[in-house]
Amino acid sequence: MKELNILYLYPDILELYGDFGNIQVLKYRLEKRGIKVNVTPYSIGDEAPDFTRFDLIFSGGGADQEQGILSKDLIKYKDNIKEAINNGVFFLLICGSYQLFGKYYKDADGNIIPGLEIFDYYTEAIEDRQKRCIGNIVINANLKDKDTKIIGFENHGGQTFNIDSPFGNVLYGNGNKFGDTKEGFMKQNVIATYLHGPLLSKNPELADYIIKYCLDRKYGENTILEPLNDDFENKCREQLLNRFSSNN
Amino acid sequence: MKNFFIVLIMKLFYIGLKILGKNGGNLLGKVAYDWNRNIFKYFKINCPVIAVTATNGKTMTNNAIGYTLKTAGKKVISNTEGNNMETGILSTLLKNCTLSGKIKADFLVFEVDEGYVPVVFKDFRLDTLVILDFFRDQLDRNGEVESLILRINEFLKNYNGNLVLNNDDPNVARLGKANPDNKNIYYFSVDKYKFATKDIKEAGEGKFCPFCNTRIEYEYYQYSHIGKFKCPNCDYGNNKIYKLATDIDLENRSFKIDNITYKIRFNSIYNIYNFVAVISCVSLYNIDVKFIQEALSKFILNNGRLEEVNIKGVPTIINLAKNPTGCNVSLRILNEDTEEKELLFVLNDKLADGQDVSWIWDINFNNLNNVKRIVTSGIRAYDIAIRIKTSGFDETKIEPYLNLHEAVESLYKTNTKKYIIANYTSLQPTRKALGL
Repeated sequence: MKELNILYLYPDILELYGDFGNIQVLKYRLEKRGIKVNVTPYSIGDEAPDFTRFDLIFSGGGADQEQGILSKDLIKYKDNIKEAINNGVFFLLICGSYQLFGKYYKDADGNIIPGLEIFDYYTEAIEDRQKRCIGNIVINANLKDKDTKIIGFENHGGQTFNIDSPFGNVLYGNGNKFGDTKEGFMKQNVIATYLHGPLLSKNPELADYIIKYCLDRKYGENTILEPLNDDFENKCREQLLNRFSSNN
Repeated sequence: MKNFFIVLIMKLFYIGLKILGKNGGNLLGKVAYDWNRNIFKYFKINCPVIAVTATNGKTMTNNAIGYTLKTAGKKVISNTEGNNMETGILSTLLKNCTLSGKIKADFLVFEVDEGYVPVVFKDFRLDTLVILDFFRDQLDRNGEVESLILRINEFLKNYNGNLVLNNDDPNVARLGKANPDNKNIYYFSVDKYKFATKDIKEAGEGKFCPFCNTRIEYEYYQYSHIGKFKCPNCDYGNNKIYKLATDIDLENRSFKIDNITYKIRFNSIYNIYNFVAVISCVSLYNIDVKFIQEALSKFILNNGRLEEVNIKGVPTIINLAKNPTGCNVSLRILNEDTEEKELLFVLNDKLADGQDVSWIWDINFNNLNNVKRIVTSGIRAYDIAIRIKTSGFDETKIEPYLNLHEAVESLYKTNTKKYIIANYTSLQPTRKALGL
C-alpha cells in the first residue's frame, strides 16, 4: 500500500487560523485514493526530526508572540531543512511559517527576529498595528504550466519584500504587500503563502498538485490520481469567484 | 446644554421610531455618539453599574444577572437584546434616562463587547466587571486574542472596582494581576465534570504563562482551554476561589455552591460557568440565596441560546455559535444526546460574523453520534459542507442549500429530532425561516 509521511510543525502553537485544515484535506484526499498517510507532529521539546525522511513538511500560521518563541527552536534545524529542500521534500508554509523561512521578520516595534535565511525574502511589519492586509484574496497560480485560480483569506501585518518567484498573481486582494500584484513564494517543491482558508480547502487542484508531486517523487512514476467528487468545492469556487470578481 | 438637546432629540427620534414600529437598536446611540463623543459623561447614575464581557456567554450571563436582580425586586436597566458596543449601550441609556440625563434604577447591567470595554468605561461609572472567557473569535475583526487581552489589561490597571474572574481560563485569571492595588478581585471556578478530559480536545489559546512564558499545565480540561490549570514555574493560577461550583449534574440540571443546590434549565458545562459567574456577581450585592435559586430555576433565553422548541411537531434545539468553542460545545451537547438526530448548520460571513471562515476547520465534527443527515445553509453553505465532508461524514448525507427556506424545508422532510447551529447574523433569519 502506498503511503506518504507528513511532518507537521508546531501543531499546538501554529494553529491560529484553521491551517490544520490543510493537513485534514490532504489526508482526506489521499485516503480516498487508498493511500496511507502518516502525520508526525513536532513541537518544542520533542526529539529532533530528520526533515529529509519526510515527503511533505507543513507549517502554519500563529500569533506573533508565539512565533518569536518557535523561531529560536526551528533555527536549530536549519541545515537539515536546507538538505531536505535540496533533496526535493515538499514544503507547504503558511503565513508566519512563510515569513520564518526568509532572512528576517521585523516587528512593529523594530525588533528583528532572524529567520532561517533559507530564502532571500524578508518581512517587515507596519508600525501601525491596526493596519493589516485582511480580506478575501484570489490569485492566479501557475501550476505545471496551467493557470489555476486559488481562493483564500489573508490576514497579515507583515509586508514581504524581495520575492524572485511568487506563488501567483493577485486578481483580488493584497498579496505580499498592500496592493501588491504578487502573492507568496514558490519553487518546484516549495509553496509559501499568506493564504488561509485554509489554503487547500477550496482549491482541490492545488491539493492534488501537491499530492501528485509527492507521490511521483517517492515512487518514481507519473501518478494518475483518481478524480474525487469535488461537487461542493466546485460550487463553492463558482460562487466565490463570482462574488469576489464583481466586488473588484 | 448641548447634551440636553442631544438627549431631547434622541428621545423624539425614539418616539418616532416606535411609531414606525422600529426598534432602533444601535441607531440612537450611533447618532448621539457621532454627535458628541463625550456624551457618556452626561449621564447621572446613582446605582451600581455591572458589566459582563467575554468571547462567549455575555448575553446569557447579562440576562441572567438582570433576571436574578429583578426576581429580588430590584429595578434593572439592561441591554438585554445584546447591542453591546458603545452605540448599543448608549442607546439603552438614552431610552431610559430623563432629559437631564438621570437614570433611575437600582442596577445598570450591561453586556459589553470585549473590544469595547475600554471605550465605554472611559468616562462612565463601573462598579463590577465580570469576565467569563476569551477564545479566538473573528480574528479578522478582533486581531489576536493576546492583543485583546492586553488592551483590557491596560484598562484594568486603573480600575479599583469589583472584578469577577473565571479562574479556569488562563486568559481571564491573569487580569486579576493588572492592578496590584485592587483588592476587590473575586475568582470563580467549577469542579471537574463528568466529561472533563486529561488532554485538550479542541483548539484553544493561552498555552504559555503570560508572566514567565513557561508552558501551562492542566490537571483536567472542561472544554477547550477551560480547566484546572497552573504554571509549574511561577504558580500562576493558584488563586483563592470566591465561589466554587461542585456536584455538577447535567442530567438533572443542577449544581452546588457553598452547599446550596441550584437547579437550572440548561444541560451544558458551558452554561454552568455562566451561572456561577451570575452567583458570584449578585452575591456581592447581598441578594438573598432564595431569590437566586428561584431566578435560575426559571431562567431561559428565547433567542437561540440552547433554545428548545417544537417546529411542525418536531423537537428542535437551536444554538447560536459564532466561533469554534461555541460550535464544539453545541456538538458536545448533540453527542451527549443518544437519540437519532439531524443537524442544520447555517454559516454567514458578514462583517459582524467575521468575514474569514477558516475557523470552521477548528470545529471538531469527528464521530458525530447518531446523526443521520446534515443540511448546511447561509452564505457559506458550501464551505461548511466541504469542512464536514472532510471530517469523514458521509458526503451523500450532506445537503448544502444557499437558500435558507429550501434548507429548512428539506430539513423538516423527516420527523427526526433536529439540532440547529447558526452563527451571528444567520440566527434571526434562521429563526424566522422556522416560523419563530
